[in-house]
Amino acid sequence: MKTVIKMILIIFLLGISSTLAQSSEVKVRVDGLSCPFCAYGLEKKFNDLNGVESINIDFEEGLVVLQVTDSENISEEEIRTKIEEAGFTPREIVFSRKNEKPDKDE
Amino acid sequence: MNKILYLLLIGLSILISCKDSEKEPADSVISKQWEFVREIKIDNISPTGLQIDGEYIWISDAKNNRVIKTDLDGSIVKEYQDIKRPMHLSLYNSTVYVPEYLTDKIKIIKGDEIEEYRLKEKPDAPAGVFVNDSLIAVVDFYNHRIILQGKDHITLIGNEGHKRGELYYPTDVALVNDKIYVADAYNNRVQVFDYKGNILKIIGEKDKINVATGIEVTNTNIFVTDFEGNRILIYDLDGKLIHIINEHLNKPTEISVSSNTMYVSNYGSGSVAMFYYR
Repeated sequence: MKTVIKMILIIFLLGISSTLAQSSEVKVRVDGLSCPFCAYGLEKKFNDLNGVESINIDFEEGLVVLQVTDSENISEEEIRTKIEEAGFTPREIVFSRKNEKPDKDE
Repeated sequence: MNKILYLLLIGLSILISCKDSEKEPADSVISKQWEFVREIKIDNISPTGLQIDGEYIWISDAKNNRVIKTDLDGSIVKEYQDIKRPMHLSLYNSTVYVPEYLTDKIKIIKGDEIEEYRLKEKPDAPAGVFVNDSLIAVVDFYNHRIILQGKDHITLIGNEGHKRGELYYPTDVALVNDKIYVADAYNNRVQVFDYKGNILKIIGEKDKINVATGIEVTNTNIFVTDFEGNRILIYDLDGKLIHIINEHLNKPTEISVSSNTMYVSNYGSGSVAMFYYR
């Protein structure tokens, strides 16, 4: 019985660690985030992308931080398109995985 | 001789009194203007819309996904949560109409209940709404148009562009005296249409507005928020600029006027500025 519980615990922990490992961060820098209609418009467009788990807008810094799942393989091009759909001009887009050095795309 | 002097005196006094009575109205017109009264601070809000409702203020708090009702001192008396990025509000018949920016829906707050208003044409990011006895006008931000919905008809007004009659990221709308007033935000102007969608007038084009986010129209005036310029521009109904307010404003988004009092949502400072006309 104890062995079964141990096995279940190990599988559960492995599951959690693999889920965490699949999460990436994308930092998007744009101009004009001070206007709420534009900033929340960008949030709306990013919401349409499959694999976006959360969106955080830093109004002061003009920065949008996306948490995305790796399994969906969101490309820089898809992100660029959404920024343009929202009425912005894309600037810097930075992909990074947890515990990895950021991978600058622009 | 006495009689002549007496008549001259009467004539002179009539002349003086006439001159005084001519002066009075001119002075009173010049002296009356909008003056700042006080700032109503509310903790941790980013107001994108507001409507005055007697002794209360309805506020869209987009940052916190809620609509709040406060008293005139800024104390919250009612809170409606889980409204995804609410924008410019409309108040009609004790009912609050809320454009829910992220879901493309119009929500209705009536008492404690929240319902959904059924739109026949789907907007992409509804930024504003205005309701009267027979029509609802919805600002369709990403489609650069106004959806005017009646009981059995829909009129779509405007399309993307910068020319006369075209809109570029509109954010607010008002229906007054059979006319549609649109805050044509990123064309930095106001456009006035009839209910068929014909363009009637452009207002504020030469006034260096830097993002015209909000509009309020009364029976005598048009009020426009200059979001980046931190100003309120006040026009008469012919579109003539008659007054500019440029103090106590911090990224203003919406105006609500009730008799001689004006309330302005300051998105930048998370507060409401109050002005009196006196």
